[in-house]
Amino acid sequence: MRKTFDAELLELGHQLTSMATAAQDTIDLVTSSLSRGEEACAKAAVEQTTAMDQMEREIETHCMSLLMRQQPVARDLRTISTALKIVTDLQRIGDQAANIAEISTLMAADGLPSDVPGDIPIMSRQAGLMVQQAIAAYADRDENTARAVIHLDDIVDELFVKLKQELTQRIAKQEDHSGRAVDLIIIGKYLERIADHAVNIARWAIFCVTGEL
Amino acid sequence: MKQPIMRTNRLNLWYGETHALKDVTLDMPEHQITALIGPSGCGKSTFLKTLDRMNELIPSVRIQGEVLYRGKNIFDAQMDVTSLRRYVGMVFQKPNPFPMSIYDNIAYGPRTHGIRGKGELDALVERSLRNAAIWDEVKDRLKKSALSLSGGQQQRICIARALAVEPDVLLMDEATSALDPISTSKIEDLMADLKQSYTIVIVTHNMQQAARVSDRCAFFLHGELVESNGTEQMFSMPKDKRTEDYITGRFG
Repeated sequence: MRKTFDAELLELGHQLTSMATAAQDTIDLVTSSLSRGEEACAKAAVEQTTAMDQMEREIETHCMSLLMRQQPVARDLRTISTALKIVTDLQRIGDQAANIAEISTLMAADGLPSDVPGDIPIMSRQAGLMVQQAIAAYADRDENTARAVIHLDDIVDELFVKLKQELTQRIAKQEDHSGRAVDLIIIGKYLERIADHAVNIARWAIFCVTGEL
Repeated sequence: MKQPIMRTNRLNLWYGETHALKDVTLDMPEHQITALIGPSGCGKSTFLKTLDRMNELIPSVRIQGEVLYRGKNIFDAQMDVTSLRRYVGMVFQKPNPFPMSIYDNIAYGPRTHGIRGKGELDALVERSLRNAAIWDEVKDRLKKSALSLSGGQQQRICIARALAVEPDVLLMDEATSALDPISTSKIEDLMADLKQSYTIVIVTHNMQQAARVSDRCAFFLHGELVESNGTEQMFSMPKDKRTEDYITGRFG
């Protein structure tokens, strides 16, 4: 029974996983561009988000087509409606990463020493891990992993508070290049937002399993 | 949940050796639409017909348990079948107007119940046709044969005929399965209007229809009532895996 529909749902899962992989790659690229000041990585990250725009449109079109042709109910409806919500969060993650890449490019161009606090690459890795696990939770219908992702957000939030304190102190000491410190705070905020989107994905993964909003 | 107007209590039915309904306990709340769903042969139509005592015409049928209409067991000796059907009307899958005029189709039931006055019958015929959302289409040809109408119109004539005896409960056995989408839509709209005044129980193979029109849903399988619940709950998060597999088309 319903071989076609099951194959379509499987394909939808693959599409989302590919987009999530692209999101993680983008986060990795911006992490490299920040840590090592590699402009090529920043450029590649922006290109990656353009590819993600296309993926978003394809997934949305696929979902709309399935809603129209299959008129799904129960877990099928939850799977498709969840995909429609997750794709938006993935897209936002791509946007935030592109914003970081743009700041990173400007930073590389101003000729100042890099001086990126150690917490930024940690936040970046943590946020990337959260995105990866949230998507895995959705793909595997794994409520426990999804709940673990929600808890991981506390670590990113704490790192951001710590980062903000450190950079505020730099500004207060009237060190040179306080504009650079503001840029780094903004980058920290973008990473904290990426982790929030991973939490959204995890919450939708839980809805997909339990039906509870 | 609203107060049930009909309720079955551990209802069992056998066709000869075949156990067709197994311990079915189900409430059908007043002024709501209850949809009975399940694969062919699951017992849903048998259940519906039992509510109107239509299965008794089959010689091999044996029934145990209760069907309560407003608290009274419809199988009690003092319950008269004709008066039961005055309160519990039935509309069938295939439109089955009598081979007579539109007017006489509607007046047939009231006449059987002793209403003879022309003025009273005229008013009743008009009211029933209006309630079945077909008055405007037939008011100028009431003396024409009901068989001259389209399938969708004939089915609404059958609904009007059922309403003419002013029942409490309307049973509909796949009443739209032989109709085109426009006629189906008209009858679904009609159901939504009718439930203000009547309690409706439908049998349908169309899951989307059950989701669209019903307030509550009951899923039957192999003569058992697997699950009954509010329709939104049933179509978003069914409790039983068998229900989920059926409504998502994994079997049946």
